[in-house]
Amino acid sequence: MLDLLKELCFLDGISGDEYAVRDFIIGKIKDCCEYKVDNLGNIICFKKGKKTPDKKIMLDAHLDEVGLIITSITENGYLKFNTVGGIDISALLFRKVIINGKVSGVIGGKPFHLLDGDNRKKLPKCDDLYIDIGAKTKEEALEKVSLGDGAVIPSDFEILGECVKSKALDDRIGCLVLIKLLKEYSDYDFYATFSVQEEVGLRGAKTAAFAVKPDFALALDSTTAADIAGTPNESRVCVQGKGAVVSFMDNATVYDKVLYNAALQSGILCQSKCAVAGGNNAGGIHLSGEGVRTLAISAPCRYIHSANSIVNIKDIESMISLTGYMLENIANGNIK
Amino acid sequence: MQIKESLCTLSELDCIGNITEASDKAYEILSQYAKTQKTNSLNVIGFLKGKADYTLMLDAHIDQVGFVVTDIDDNGFLTVATVGGIDLRALPSRDVTVHGKEKITAVFCSVPPHLSKGETEYDNITEIKLDTALGSKAKEIVSVGDYVTFNQKCFSLSDDLICGRSFDDRAGVVCLLELAKRLNGKELPVNVAFALSNQEELGLRGAITAAFSVNPDEAIAIDVDFGDSPDVSKDESSPLGEGGIITYSPILDKKINQKLITIAKENNIGYSTFVTGGKTSTDADMISISRDGVKTTVLSIPLRNMHSAVEILSLSDLNAVCDLLEKYILAGGIFNA
Repeated sequence: MLDLLKELCFLDGISGDEYAVRDFIIGKIKDCCEYKVDNLGNIICFKKGKKTPDKKIMLDAHLDEVGLIITSITENGYLKFNTVGGIDISALLFRKVIINGKVSGVIGGKPFHLLDGDNRKKLPKCDDLYIDIGAKTKEEALEKVSLGDGAVIPSDFEILGECVKSKALDDRIGCLVLIKLLKEYSDYDFYATFSVQEEVGLRGAKTAAFAVKPDFALALDSTTAADIAGTPNESRVCVQGKGAVVSFMDNATVYDKVLYNAALQSGILCQSKCAVAGGNNAGGIHLSGEGVRTLAISAPCRYIHSANSIVNIKDIESMISLTGYMLENIANGNIK
Repeated sequence: MQIKESLCTLSELDCIGNITEASDKAYEILSQYAKTQKTNSLNVIGFLKGKADYTLMLDAHIDQVGFVVTDIDDNGFLTVATVGGIDLRALPSRDVTVHGKEKITAVFCSVPPHLSKGETEYDNITEIKLDTALGSKAKEIVSVGDYVTFNQKCFSLSDDLICGRSFDDRAGVVCLLELAKRLNGKELPVNVAFALSNQEELGLRGAITAAFSVNPDEAIAIDVDFGDSPDVSKDESSPLGEGGIITYSPILDKKINQKLITIAKENNIGYSTFVTGGKTSTDADMISISRDGVKTTVLSIPLRNMHSAVEILSLSDLNAVCDLLEKYILAGGIFNA
């Protein structure tokens, strides 16, 4: 399981540039389901099971990750960029970047010795940052990169105690769960969508849900775990090691309470998201067509949207079990 | 070892506090070419005998910036203090190496958006905790007083520009090792001492005892200085790719500078000059006032992103500094000047 997650996280796929991740996943699932790629680049899979449930069920995870996009090049050969998805500037300053999967660069800055007063304490604005790829002129830079190229902050995939540390855990964990279910679950028919452009406004899931027209949906994603030193208990959102996270409400969705309660009563290690914050593809899915009864099942993730996100392996296992349980029980009518 | 390989090898080893991986490796290399000793203050000093009873000391500092653990809580979060000057703004969500009973990776906490109130100010390292992800087991591996270092590996940006950690001042160390290799076996007009000084980042301390031990007649500190980049003005930086920086300051010796420039011009070796109004914040500040005073200057390698995990330098600058010093030493420094 962790080998597959490592391979998934290693691939670069900022929003709108999910090719590498999509091709890899198609390679993994093509023999165990029917699939098509829609106009936006979503992979829409149908897995034929032993039985056909009365209700159509869709499971979703997103392919894309946060990153950077090159917007212009200065006369001196430095690259200017915008963020793609929400990234804190502190996660960018003095970091190595990989542009277009192959060109190394560095987000440089003024050495702090030369900063005075507030500038030493406060982060610069994204507009003030640049990527140094060692080019001396604009022309030299253009030999290596093009405007619109994507960039990510690379990071080693490492096991730290009971946890994994990597970039792109949001949402390659969701992709891992879907791949596993497509390969291993065969009781009932279900749809699985690997959707694009989640990080720039839950966009791919909208068209994927339109295509599938599900009655029920489970959005598999990661959510902020603020269980770090100094955070009061009521602000932690969720806690690592306590299982997958189910939400009653976030900034994009009011979740189906029947599904939410069923998850908490499943007997599988899981927890409530104790905050109304963030959002995920459920926001795109639940408003599709005449409405879709939706639940988000998330991995509690520290330092989400950074190159060094941390997730407890137990929580990934819980997510796999809980997603399988919900699929089975919605399909067989136990959850109505 | 080629100079690039040597820089990568030495910069990926650490030297901070009692962690001496880099100085051990430097000792091993320097010993091949010069009579070398380790001193009480963890300096490494090599010596090549010359003709005259006159000693020219080259100094580069072997230590690097980093952190030291000051507290470990029950949930696996560490509090650290900085060792040397570090930009706190770039720490959140960065992974680093903790040199505990074994080396482990840990990640500096970043505060999620829902918890940050307005613009965060990064001015207190004790507020930026370090997450080992080991929970209560962290205490079995990490102790108070353990050191923490950046973990960036070396990589190339172009044929000439290379990026990595601790180039300040492994770049200088690499120059000294390269010079020892080049000068070994040659007839030298003066004695040459190679001082790899410790604890520069904590107040130029190793150089105090190194200069006392060597008792040189003349010294050159090889360090890094601010390189050009878009957000640094020309007045406070020097260009990459034009050679070493010969530094002028009231505390430095003009005669050495003049000879360096003459030799650079004669041999067509690139250099630039930089003038500062007082102390240089390099080992030269201490070496120059050792015993009854030492004629000293600073020759620097321009460096971008100083004290970050992604420092950038030009290999041609590194070579130019080696070439210039080699010719300078073979000319006897200012012994006969």
